[in-house]
Amino acid sequence: MTDSELKGAVLPALKKPGGAVRDFLRLAMEKELADAVILPMKVPSGDSFAWILMNDISLLDDAVPIAATMPVQGAKALRSLTRKGPGNLKIIAVMRPCEIRAAMELSKLGQVHPENLILATYDCPGAVQLQKYVDDPAGSEEYFAGMLQKGKPDDSAKPVCHTCENFSMFDSDIHFGYLGLSEKEVLVIPGSEKGSALLEGLGLDLTKDLQAWEKGIDQLKADKLNSRKSTFEETKAQLNGFNGLLSVFANCIGCHNCQSACPICYCRLCYFDSETAEQDPDALITAAEKRGGISLPVDRIMFHTGRMAHMSLSCVSCGQCSDACPVSIPVADVFSYVADQTQRTFEYTAGRNDGDPLPLRQFRKAELPGVHELVKDADAEVPSHE
Amino acid sequence: MSSIVIDTSASRKVKELLRFLLDSGKIDAAVTMRKIPENNSYDLTLITDAPDLDEAVPVIPVMTVNAGQVLSSISTSGKKIAAVLKPCELRAFVELVKREQGSFENLLTISYTCGGVFPLELVKEGQIEELLPKYDKTISKGEVPINTRDTCRACEHFIPMNADITVSVSGECESGKGCVMYLNTEKAEEFTEGFGGERSEQKFDPSLFQKTLDARLAEKGKLFASITKDGPGLDGLLDLFGKCVGCHGCNSVCPICYCLLCDFESANFDYNLPYFEEYLSRRGALRLPPDTIFFHMGRLTHMSFSCVGCGMCSDVCPVGIPVAAVFKKTGEKTAALFDYVPGRDVEESIPVMVYKEEELSDIG
Amino acid sequence: MKKEFTPRITSFLCKWCTYTGADLAGTARLQYPTSIIPIQVMCSSRVDPVFLIKAFLSGSDGVLIGGCHPGDCHYETGNYHARRRFAIVKSVFESLGLESQRLKLSWISASEGPKFARVANEYTEEIMELGENPTRKNIFL
Ligand code: SF4
Ligand code: SF4
Ligand code: SF4
Ligand code: SF4
Repeated sequence: MTDSELKGAVLPALKKPGGAVRDFLRLAMEKELADAVILPMKVPSGDSFAWILMNDISLLDDAVPIAATMPVQGAKALRSLTRKGPGNLKIIAVMRPCEIRAAMELSKLGQVHPENLILATYDCPGAVQLQKYVDDPAGSEEYFAGMLQKGKPDDSAKPVCHTCENFSMFDSDIHFGYLGLSEKEVLVIPGSEKGSALLEGLGLDLTKDLQAWEKGIDQLKADKLNSRKSTFEETKAQLNGFNGLLSVFANCIGCHNCQSACPICYCRLCYFDSETAEQDPDALITAAEKRGGISLPVDRIMFHTGRMAHMSLSCVSCGQCSDACPVSIPVADVFSYVADQTQRTFEYTAGRNDGDPLPLRQFRKAELPGVHELVKDADAEVPSHE
Repeated sequence: MSSIVIDTSASRKVKELLRFLLDSGKIDAAVTMRKIPENNSYDLTLITDAPDLDEAVPVIPVMTVNAGQVLSSISTSGKKIAAVLKPCELRAFVELVKREQGSFENLLTISYTCGGVFPLELVKEGQIEELLPKYDKTISKGEVPINTRDTCRACEHFIPMNADITVSVSGECESGKGCVMYLNTEKAEEFTEGFGGERSEQKFDPSLFQKTLDARLAEKGKLFASITKDGPGLDGLLDLFGKCVGCHGCNSVCPICYCLLCDFESANFDYNLPYFEEYLSRRGALRLPPDTIFFHMGRLTHMSFSCVGCGMCSDVCPVGIPVAAVFKKTGEKTAALFDYVPGRDVEESIPVMVYKEEELSDIG
Repeated sequence: MKKEFTPRITSFLCKWCTYTGADLAGTARLQYPTSIIPIQVMCSSRVDPVFLIKAFLSGSDGVLIGGCHPGDCHYETGNYHARRRFAIVKSVFESLGLESQRLKLSWISASEGPKFARVANEYTEEIMELGENPTRKNIFL
């Protein structure tokens, strides 16, 4: 995060933020301070983007550093590349803050090896919902241009973007800032030693103070925190009791797309798809007999609550799960709310790169004083059937 | 084999039959679609108590999950089960039984002449009710409803291939004969013994569905042509699948893809850095995660000859790729090499498990 | 005019027949082109269809499987299965409009050194005619 001592450099290229980022990367590659970069590029059909790892500088012109939508969570791209180790190439990846946060979580889980990666973020205005983008790329680009200009999401954005408080620099190596600045300025700010070394190598002049930018961020953050609060209130009311949960997930078809699109859910074979979790046929019939009937496939609520238990401490509220759901269940709204609760319990913020281990990797002898009482209170309502 | 004349709607009659079967203890459970009372939507349900059948809607153009896939985890329970299946669900189950993923032993299968199902995006908040009258009218005229799944419109196997009981719900009703429940097997005769209704000796007459068949075949021609006549080619393939996000939802809802861990998600296709470096040095760039087209071509090779064209894969694709059309088209072409029709006969081995000494003479 | 290029033909050769045949061609000093990149397999049926797809998408200009003649398989029936699997991959290629000529299956016994040299030469020529595999340069696969 920013502190008052920190200064940034004004980028030489005074174009839209994306153009400035591209020029920056070109310079880094030309000066051989990076072997390759990872950026989104339009897919051949023109209605979506793909992550492209490139070392061919001429391809930079076709890249879209700040893409309007987020088809594949960037952390997944980084994971596919470095899951077996950091390798020798020095690579700069430009991604949304929630993608970098997910990558941080994955690195704690041993799934991303960021040693030779330089992770760059930008002031994220939000991302257009994937299906909206695919249905209408041109219109979506217009929406996104508007979002970029204002620095904040509109109705075409994913719902979680409206409640995202970590939309700007968050433990990345370098950050491109433009909020609160004049339209022709983009700041590049170092966030780590690695980042500082890169900027130094590029000969950038770190003289610009960050006040204007920080003010812009703080203003927006206040708005976001407000909408976060009210949205979470709504979600809480909606989830009230077991029937609330049931009604949110009533149309779930059990495809597990939400899980496979999730950057945090890295298991090759999800526990809930495994043989261990599979009910044997007799147990299924017995379960049906107890209730008169059961909805198929079984264990959908089990899957969702189980996933919350397994990964909500690392959920970065990126919204990929909602984008992937074929029946438009607001999965991310629920997970984001639950994550807020569970992370609060451990005073943990997913994606923070401060050496704090994952909450479930440690314990203290005296902690969580309220938990026992919580359990006692919870026996009020026991639902009779699923 | 005899038949039962239906004096009410087909769905109601099947429900009556299920009730009779449960009440008389001939079955322990029924698998059928149900209306979810809370939100006016539908799901597939396993019902063991007759009163719980109240919400059942056995014949409804909705497929939330391919029931063949779900049956594979229930059918081996040793309990007697009656399942109401759409023809492609039954065919998918046949394919699964061939792969030892289920059993017909304690199963009574009821299927019907299917008019096609609506995409999932229409299956919520009472939309189906609004669509049904027009849908019923269209199929009874032997025409193809416009807003059903693309592979349903192009499906020529809408007459169940090997159900114990076949219910005719379209075509015939319109030609003034009333809907009929055909008992195709000994099992069907046995189970329906004691079930009321006027019996007849009437045989199922596929020719009554000729108009529907012609219309479907015409639709199929159009659908396959949309994937281009000679195939999309490399560029076309990228236009189709280039925006795939790699969620593998298409694979997880596919009834044929029964592997717990798909080969393409296995450690076989994890790469280390030198692999990427090699690619970079040759092409200057590559996509992450890798293997987008590879996954689809691999899946086509592994299972398309068993594809029943149910359309689940297209329906769950978050970026709207016409997965099912490609799989159905490729699958038909591949299956034809071996004179194979997925789901036709449980005794027929899947093409990769058998061979003939004299065949494919143009190869090698 | 097609650009001159050196094709790469990834060749999966069965240990008992074709690989030995290739050896024979070598010791008999029969000329066959360097485009053939041999990989020894225990049987043509060891070649998982996805090997062919992977080789194709990775930029191989041609992919060759060499096995024992039908009826002569060291494991009795391996090559019959290989033939079916090959037919499936080929059909997938054709259905997708991909150049199925880039896949080839050939039966070459251990004693058919000259046949191996001939197949290698002819197939290389055919691939030269076809040109470079367009997957070689594609970054979106
Ligand atoms: S993506 Fe949607 S339908 Fe699929 S399992 Fe998740 S919530 Fe259910
Ligand atoms: S649960 Fe949903 S919002 Fe949370 S990290 Fe996973 S995909 Fe993103
Ligand atoms: S469902 Fe669609 S996006 Fe997901 S893997 Fe299949 S084709 Fe790709
Ligand atoms: S590939 Fe698609 S259409 Fe074919 S059986 Fe599987 S889910 Fe159904």
